[in-house]
Amino acid sequence: VNAAGPVSDPGPIALDELERDAITEIVNIGVSRAASSLRKMIGDHVLLSVPSIDVVSQSRAARLISEREASDLVAVRQDFTGAFSGRALLIFPEENSLALVRAVTGDALSSAEVIDIENEALAETGNVILNSCLATMANMLKRSLTMTIPEVLRGTGTSLFDVPEDGADEGLVLFLYIDFAVRKRDIRGYIAMIMDLPSLATLKELLGEFIALVLGDDGGADRAAS
Amino acid sequence: VTSGTWDWDIATDTLRGDATLAELYGRTPRELAEGVPARVFVEAIHPDDRPRIRIAIAGIRAGAEIFSKEFRIVTPGGATIWVHARGQGHHDANDVPVRFTGLLVDVTERKRTEEWLRVAQTAGGVGTFEYIDGYATAAVSDEFCRLLGLHPAPALPVQTINGVLATGEPPLIPDARGGAPETLDGAFCIVRKDDGQARWIARRGEIRREGAGFRLIGVIYDVTAAKEQEAALRELNETLESRVEQEVANRQTVEEALRQAQKMEAIGQLTGGIAHDFNNLLMAISSSLALLRKRLPDDPQLHKMVDHALEGSARGAALTQRMLAFARRQDLTPVPIDVVALVGGMSELLTRTLGPAWPIDCRFPDHLPLIVADANQLEMAILNLAVNARDAMPEGGSIRIEASDRRLAPGGIEGLAEGHYLQLSVVDSGFGMDAETLSRATEPFFTTKGVGKGTGLGLSMIHGLASQLHGGFSLRSTPGAGTTATLWLPVAQAQIAAPSAPIEASAPGHRPLKILAVDDDFLILMNTAALLEDLGHQVLEANSGAEALALALEHPDIDLLITDQAMPKMTGVELAERMIEARPDLPMVLATGYGEVPASAKTAMVKLGKPFSQDQLAEAVAQALHLKRKSGLPV
Repeated sequence: VNAAGPVSDPGPIALDELERDAITEIVNIGVSRAASSLRKMIGDHVLLSVPSIDVVSQSRAARLISEREASDLVAVRQDFTGAFSGRALLIFPEENSLALVRAVTGDALSSAEVIDIENEALAETGNVILNSCLATMANMLKRSLTMTIPEVLRGTGTSLFDVPEDGADEGLVLFLYIDFAVRKRDIRGYIAMIMDLPSLATLKELLGEFIALVLGDDGGADRAAS
Repeated sequence: VTSGTWDWDIATDTLRGDATLAELYGRTPRELAEGVPARVFVEAIHPDDRPRIRIAIAGIRAGAEIFSKEFRIVTPGGATIWVHARGQGHHDANDVPVRFTGLLVDVTERKRTEEWLRVAQTAGGVGTFEYIDGYATAAVSDEFCRLLGLHPAPALPVQTINGVLATGEPPLIPDARGGAPETLDGAFCIVRKDDGQARWIARRGEIRREGAGFRLIGVIYDVTAAKEQEAALRELNETLESRVEQEVANRQTVEEALRQAQKMEAIGQLTGGIAHDFNNLLMAISSSLALLRKRLPDDPQLHKMVDHALEGSARGAALTQRMLAFARRQDLTPVPIDVVALVGGMSELLTRTLGPAWPIDCRFPDHLPLIVADANQLEMAILNLAVNARDAMPEGGSIRIEASDRRLAPGGIEGLAEGHYLQLSVVDSGFGMDAETLSRATEPFFTTKGVGKGTGLGLSMIHGLASQLHGGFSLRSTPGAGTTATLWLPVAQAQIAAPSAPIEASAPGHRPLKILAVDDDFLILMNTAALLEDLGHQVLEANSGAEALALALEHPDIDLLITDQAMPKMTGVELAERMIEARPDLPMVLATGYGEVPASAKTAMVKLGKPFSQDQLAEAVAQALHLKRKSGLPV
């Protein structure tokens, strides 16, 4: 797995390699906590990891996901406000969402029952994952964030990323790939955080502080050498 | 593959490891079995890789569970090796991270191979893919995605990959439902997703059959430049072909025109030659007949028969005149002519010739310039064109004769020099001519009028006349829409019409003369002599220039010389020039069937067209005497 990930949009607020490593690691901590919560919820093996990240424009994120996913998408959405504000999305291809619900609820339920509770189960799972990620970010970056309640959406990349038609005032998207291993099922999904430029600038600053803290004095020397 | 395990106790920051890890880190197995400070783990890492690994470890210490990183380790011996570390964070019941364990694998060889492959792909512009039938996605390389303008991803839906193809192209990842493809060789036109550019992509690869299914492992690369060169080359080839075709067509046209001109020239030569000889025969026939007639007993039956024979020879003479006109050997007398007056003077002739169903509609602008032509021949030409126009309109119809003043630029009309012309057209609204007929219309003996109705010499004669006058003749025709026949006649330099006053024929020879007649053709010579003798003259006969000169010496009292022009060894003109030295005052008549008496002829002579009648001969003799009396001396 290539941790650095592909080169992303060189926007005005591009994250450098270490900053991308840092946010990937922070989200990794978040999803690990979510996995722990899920394990407790369903009493079975759950592993979550975030191997890489891209920072792209909203329209590119929409295109990127529609290139990778042939089917329609299901997403759990939560907005957040605080030191940096934006919208977090946990996205699955439609066929993966039922598999996730089935994995989370166990194989006891019939297909009809799975469909009945799909939205509820997704909202709950998404809430655990997104909450963990955002809370971890707030915690690690020593800021506070408030979150809205989760909402389930269905649609295409374009509709989920709410791409402005004229392309103006596009925000940037932190686009993270997330691998689920739930009850021996492998499910692939995406976490997307849509932020406007000021929020992203704040995030970048906070990531810088976090890196300095982690690397310490000799770490600074390490960083200069890289 | 070398691999070592590690176990990092977070509470005490103690690192333990197996013998392999000890070897990689340059420690004794015992040291690592007992435990070393955890910072050893990081200190062995290449400085460039150290920060991101520290961040990842910080993540583990803060609760992340999965660790999967590649980085370099610098061994105590100074060697750099690539490792892949796969680890896990372990938490206690309160979710507090307590241990960090994992496996460290030496991937230096794989990394080198990957590096080679990556350079091969990026530098060579080659993208790889792997597709197993039945799957909705294909594994792809970053370069593969870049070539298609897609965002790099390790795997892409087949639908996404095939979505880049231009309309109508076969799929890049073949449709598995049809079974394994025959080959992966192919070229595809795509529209790149990121910039919308149309590109050509080549695909090569291998098909591996695995059980009932198959696996495709292939590469793609951009061949747009080659395709464009190919297209440019092909276009060049194609235009080359059409340029060659154009050139060949041009040459064919030129050759065709040349062949046509050569044919006309050959026909002209032939016609002229035949006409000349035929003229002499007619001469013999008609003059003998004329003499015979005088000596015939007074039997109306016999006279009628001789008259018929004379009429036939007269028509034969008219025919040879036309042939000579075509051969441009007609004896023309170009004088300034007012075309409007000329056509006006012909109106009665035209009306009578054409008949009441074909009225003439003349359209002449005011102030037309004079032209230079032979009035009789021009009249003949107009009449001929009018008759043609009539014949093209069997049901009747108006025939338009129009004229205009035209100044031609160089190359304005094919075959015509730059200059000032009068354009004289005869226009009908008859059945017209197709291209084939039009192209042959001015050939002699070509006729559409049916056997016996026309000689086929009309238009060729007009063509010859126009050329001899340094003008031109053109025909425009559309089948079913009529024909326009146009004469281009050079405008006269001096705009003064010559008074159409023919030289008044003196009364035919009142006094008997001593005449020297010269012709290389005995038949003609005898005839001419007979005609002259019949007129009461004394005739000395010579059948060559040399003989004539000898006779002239013998007979200094010769009153007149009448000689044929076309003779071997010495022509009539040459004879006349020699004769003039001895007898500057000797009146001379030059009998000729040809128009071209050399311009250098220094001697004033009366020309007599062959065949001639006895009256014409008498008149020529009278004119010659008159000319000498007037001038007194040779010019």
